[in-house]
Amino acid sequence: MKLSKTLLSSSEFIVFLGLLAIGAFFAFMSPVFMTKFNLLNILLQSSIQGIIAIGMTFVILTAGIDLSVGSVVALSGVLMALMLHGGVPVWLVILINLVFGVAVGLFHGFSITKIGMAPFIVTLATMAMARGLTMVFSDGKTIFDFPPAFEFFGSGNIGPISVAIIIFLLYAFVAEMLLRSTVLGRNIYAVGSNIKAAALSGIRTRWVLYFVYVVSGISCAIAGLVLTGRLGAAMPTAATGYELDAIAAVIIGGASLMGGKGTIIGTIIGVLLIGVINNGMNLLNVPPFWQSFLKGAVIFLAVMIDSLKNKQSEV
Amino acid sequence: METMNPKAILETRNLTKVFPGVIALDDVSLSLNAGEVLGLVGENGAGKSTLMKLLSGVYAPTRGEIYFSGRKAQFRNPKDALDAGISIVYQELNLIPHLSVAENVFINRLPRRGAFVDWAKLYRDTRSILSDSGMDGIDPKAIVADLPIGVKQSVEIAKALSYKAKVLLLDEPTSSLTGPEIENLFSVIRRLREMGIGIIYVSHHLDEIFQVTQRVHVLRDGKTVVVVPTVEADEEFLVSKMVGRDIKNIYYKGQHTPQEVVLQAEGLSDNLLKNVSFKLRKSEVVGVYGLLGSGRTELLKAMVGARPLKKGTVKVRGKVAKLRHPLDAIKTGIVYSSEDRKGENLFFGNPIWKNITYLAIQVGRFTKNGFTLPRQERRAAADFAAKLNVKAPSIDVDVYNLSGGNQQKVCLAKALIEDPEIVLLDEPTRGIDVGAKLEIYRLIADLAAEGRAVVFVSSELPEVIGCADRVYTMSEGRITAELTGDEITEENVLKYCLQVDAAGEATT
Ligand SMILES: Nc1ncnc2c1ncn2[C@@H]1O[C@H](COP(=O)(O)OP(=O)(O)OP(=O)(O)O)[C@@H](O)[C@H]1O
Ligand SMILES: [Mg+2]
Repeated sequence: MKLSKTLLSSSEFIVFLGLLAIGAFFAFMSPVFMTKFNLLNILLQSSIQGIIAIGMTFVILTAGIDLSVGSVVALSGVLMALMLHGGVPVWLVILINLVFGVAVGLFHGFSITKIGMAPFIVTLATMAMARGLTMVFSDGKTIFDFPPAFEFFGSGNIGPISVAIIIFLLYAFVAEMLLRSTVLGRNIYAVGSNIKAAALSGIRTRWVLYFVYVVSGISCAIAGLVLTGRLGAAMPTAATGYELDAIAAVIIGGASLMGGKGTIIGTIIGVLLIGVINNGMNLLNVPPFWQSFLKGAVIFLAVMIDSLKNKQSEV
Repeated sequence: METMNPKAILETRNLTKVFPGVIALDDVSLSLNAGEVLGLVGENGAGKSTLMKLLSGVYAPTRGEIYFSGRKAQFRNPKDALDAGISIVYQELNLIPHLSVAENVFINRLPRRGAFVDWAKLYRDTRSILSDSGMDGIDPKAIVADLPIGVKQSVEIAKALSYKAKVLLLDEPTSSLTGPEIENLFSVIRRLREMGIGIIYVSHHLDEIFQVTQRVHVLRDGKTVVVVPTVEADEEFLVSKMVGRDIKNIYYKGQHTPQEVVLQAEGLSDNLLKNVSFKLRKSEVVGVYGLLGSGRTELLKAMVGARPLKKGTVKVRGKVAKLRHPLDAIKTGIVYSSEDRKGENLFFGNPIWKNITYLAIQVGRFTKNGFTLPRQERRAAADFAAKLNVKAPSIDVDVYNLSGGNQQKVCLAKALIEDPEIVLLDEPTRGIDVGAKLEIYRLIADLAAEGRAVVFVSSELPEVIGCADRVYTMSEGRITAELTGDEITEENVLKYCLQVDAAGEATT
C-alpha cells in the first residue's frame, strides 16, 4: 500500500508511463514497431547513449555537468583506431582507452576542486579541445579496418543478444548498485544535496567530485569502444551532440540539475524514451527537421510535468 | 465585509491547513490589532510557522478565511501578501548566498537609473535601512555567503522592515541572535508599534514574549489553546498551556566529575581566531558563550579541521592530532554539530533516517565493506528519533517538511548516533520548545555522566550557566575568561564577553 503510493508518485514511474504511452502510440501507427527485431534495435541504439548517460547521472547528482562527453567519445575512438593501426594489441588498446577516460575525469576533477573552476566552463573547454584533437589526430578523415576482436565489443553477439546491450545492462547494474547500496553512492547524493553539510559530516567532498567525473570519463571511453566497434570506423565527427541527449535523458529520468536527486533506473527510462521517439519517427518517416523539433518538444513536456509536480508538493 | 473585531488589522477565521498525513493547523481564529505585538507560542510542530506562511501567502488554506484591513484576503503567493502590506521574516533563512547584503534587501526592486542598477543609491538606501534598525555594523556590499548566520538573520530582518508593511510577521527572528542584536530588534519593534504596525512574534524564548508582546496566542497540536493579555500570564502558565502539563523550567547539571583532559587546543589562530587556547575534560560539560562574531563557531570548526589554521595545535587525549578534515576528527572521536541546520547540517530532499545516519556511515557504522545496511540504519535512526521525540509521521519523511524544532532534533540525533567521545554542539537548542529543551539538557548531562566530553555553545545565557561545569567567554576571536564553579554568574559572563582581553592582545 505504502510502497505503491511512493511508486506512483516517483518521477521514474511517471516517465515510465510516458514511455509506455509513446510506445503504444508507435505500435498503433506502425506494424514494424513491436517486432522483436525492432525492439532489440532500439535497445542497441540506446546502449551507447545509455552508457554515456549513466556517467552523466553521476555528475548531475553532484549538481555538476559534463559537456565534454560527445567529443571525448570521438577522441577515444580515434585514439584507439590509431593505436590499432600502429599494431598495438587489442587488449592493450582497450586498457589504454580506459586509462584515457580516467585521465579526462581526473583533469575535470582537478580543475573543479583544486582550481575552483565551474564544471560548465571546464567541460565546455574540454569539449572543444577534445573535438579539436580528434580532428588533428585523424586529419579529419574516417579511419576503417579493425581486427574482429576489437569490433566484437560493438557488433558481436553472445547468443541472440548483442554484446553492446550486454555491456550497457551490466554497466547500468553496477552503477545502480553503487548509487543505491554503497556509502560512496550515498555520499554522491549528499554532496549534491548540501556540500557544506556533507563536508561537516565527514564526507571527503573533493574525492567524491573527482570520482563522478572519472566515472563520466570512463563511461565515454566505454561508449567510444562500443561505438567504434559497431560502426567499424572511427569518425572524427562521431557522437556530435551526444552531450545534450545524455543530459536530456538524465533530466527526463527525474534528476535535478540542482543535484541530489535522480537514479540510474530513471536515466535508463529517459534514454529509452528518447530512443523510442527517434526510432518511431524514423518508422513513420517523419522528416528529419521535424524529428528534431518533436524530440525537443517531448523533452520539454517530460521535464515540465516533473517540475509542476515538484512545485505542487513543495509550494 | 464585516469583521468580528473592529480594531483588528489582521484576522483569521477557522483557518485550517492539512498536509498529507498531518493536520498542521486546525480551525484557528486569531486577531491582530494595529499597534500591537501578538506573541504566538507553542511546542515544536504546533503549527506556528504554518500559520505564518498562510498569512504571508506561501500556503493556501485548506479551509477558513483571512481578513486583512477588514477585507477578505486571498493571497496567491508571497508577493500578493507583500503588496497588500504583510511582510515576513521566515524561520529559515531565505537570502541568496552569492549576492550582496544590499542586493538581498532590495531584491526584485533594485533602484534603477535608466536600464541600469543605480548602485550608489542601492548602497545608500541599504545603509540607511540598516542604521534605522540599529545594524550599522553590517556592510551593504558584503557577500551574504561569507556572513555568519546571526548576521544573515539580521539582514533578513532589515529586509522585512524595509517594505514598510502594515503587518510584520516574525517567525523566531532571534534564534541566531545574541543580546545586543535582540535589544536592537526590540527597540525597532517598539518604534513600529508606535507607528501603528501590527506584529506577530513567534518565539520559544518566553522572556522575549514577556518583554515585547501585549497578548499571547497559544497553539497546541494545531489548535488554539488560549489567548491572554501578556500581563495576565506568567511563564509557568504559558508552558503548561503549550505542553498540556506542568513543567518546571529547571536546568540540569548532572552527577559527573570531570576527569583528565581529552581535547586541548593551544594558540589557535586564523583570520578570526587570535591565539585561542582551550581545554575539555572527560565527563565534563564546557559552555562557550560569546556574542555574534565572537568566534565561538569558528573555534569549534577549527578544532575539527573544518577551518584551515594559521597557527596552533590540537591535542586529543594528550597527543597532537593532525585534523585536516572533519572526517579525521570523527575518526578520533570528535563530532561537531553545526548551528546552521539548513545551510550546513541537514540534507533537504532526504528522509529523516538518512539524515540521521549520514555521519555515522562515514566511519563504518551500519555498513559492511562499503555497503550500507539500510535495515540496521533505519532501526537505529528510528530509535534515536523516538528518544529525542522527533515529531513526524514516519522516518521516511523528507526533513524539509519537519518543523524547525524537529529538524534541530534530527541534527542532534545525527551527531550523537555515531557515539562520539567528544561532542561539540553549536546551539543545540536553537528553535527547540521548552519541554524538549529539558530533554536536551538531560541528554547533555547523561553524555557527561557516561564519560563523554561535551562543548555546549549557546546564545542563551541561562542555559549555559545552568548546564556547564566550566564556561569560556569569547569576544572578537579571543577567549576572554574561563569561569568555574561560583564564578559562573550572569553578571560575570556578560562582563567578560563584552571585553577584549588585554593579555591576548599583547601576544598576537
Ligand atoms: N510542507 C509540509 N509538508 C508536510 N508537513 C508539514 C509541512 N510543513 C509543516 N508540516 C508539518 O506541520 C506541522 C506543523 O509545523 P510547523 O512548522 O507549523 O510547526 P512550528 O509550530 O512552527 O514548530 P517549530 O517550533 O518547531 O518551528 C508539523 O507536524 C510539520 O511536520
Ligand atoms: Mg516553526
